Amino acid sequence: MSVLAWCVVAWLLGIGVYGMVTSRNYVHLIGCLSVCQSATYVLLLGIGFRWGAGPPIFYDHPPGTPAVDPVVQAFVLTDIVVSAAMTALLLAIALQVHKKRGTLDTQHLRPLRPTE
Amino acid sequence: MTTRWRLIVLVPVLLVLGTAATEIILTLPSFGHPLTRYGMTVNTLAPALRNVSNAVTSVMYDFRGIDTLGEESMLICAVTAAVMLLRGRRGEDGNEQAGRVSGRAWAERSDAMVLMCRLFATMLFLFGVYVVLHGTVTPGGGFQGGVIAASSFTLLYLGGGYMVWRRMLHSPVLVALEGVGGLAYVLCAAVPLAFGYSALQNVLPLGNWKDLYSGGLMVIINIAVGIAVIGSFAALLLEFMEETRVPKGPVAEEDT
Repeated sequence: MSVLAWCVVAWLLGIGVYGMVTSRNYVHLIGCLSVCQSATYVLLLGIGFRWGAGPPIFYDHPPGTPAVDPVVQAFVLTDIVVSAAMTALLLAIALQVHKKRGTLDTQHLRPLRPTE
Repeated sequence: MTTRWRLIVLVPVLLVLGTAATEIILTLPSFGHPLTRYGMTVNTLAPALRNVSNAVTSVMYDFRGIDTLGEESMLICAVTAAVMLLRGRRGEDGNEQAGRVSGRAWAERSDAMVLMCRLFATMLFLFGVYVVLHGTVTPGGGFQGGVIAASSFTLLYLGGGYMVWRRMLHSPVLVALEGVGGLAYVLCAAVPLAFGYSALQNVLPLGNWKDLYSGGLMVIINIAVGIAVIGSFAALLLEFMEETRVPKGPVAEEDT
């Protein structure tokens, strides 16, 4: 059980990197990047987890009861929102690339080659 | 570069990075037994020092508030860049349709659909505002609630169609919301500085534990972040929706 979280992290990162390397489409590549980012969320939450601890919100249970690490949760939280905005930015770039070049195939998108 | 060559290049990269990562992985604490004294200290101190029950919020807006200021600047920069890239000719004259693919059958929306979308859009927006306002008390906060509230606008589009959507959401308003939220956060950092305190120092009265107003300056930062996130995500949504619109009139010349 204790290895499972790290295995999920490795698996998510692995398929994300493999997808990015073998990607033939820019939008697919952005999706793979998001999968890689999900691996970091699982990793951070896994690092902060404590057996037998509750959420770090002391509303129902009084302060002092064991709770998981709030710092990594704060990281994950801002990470998710910022990565959503970054994905939107990358997709906007993809749209513009498609308008200019007519393709999103990464094989045909050589940045330094002028369009004919 | 073909896919095979990319995979071949990946192998040495993985060898170098993998060995470095293995070193770090072996020093990780075992699952469920964290070594993070910092987090545990925050758990103890947040209710005592700041009267807030949500320790995550206290980390984000108080103990590590400067970090979150940086994160929010990243968010605003990313959204601004995306909006600048997408901004084209808009359907201001109001006779365009969006999201139609020519040659595909077009069915009218049923009244039930319109009603449900209006109801749920309102409820979702209110729920988002609720999550923002209770950020220091229960799970939630500016980032989460802002995204929830902004997602209610998709339901407006689904139920009302393009014209309702255009009439209700105005891009300058959304961008202004984004800017005002960001500016309010910066002011929260700068005003204590002007009075001789540290940046983001919690100088306001702290309020009561478990109360809607608890945490002093955190409440204001929380609402500021919520406003900025609502504005940013709604602006993104608007610009992406505008991309699906097919203009009827002559298209303006594009810069090359």
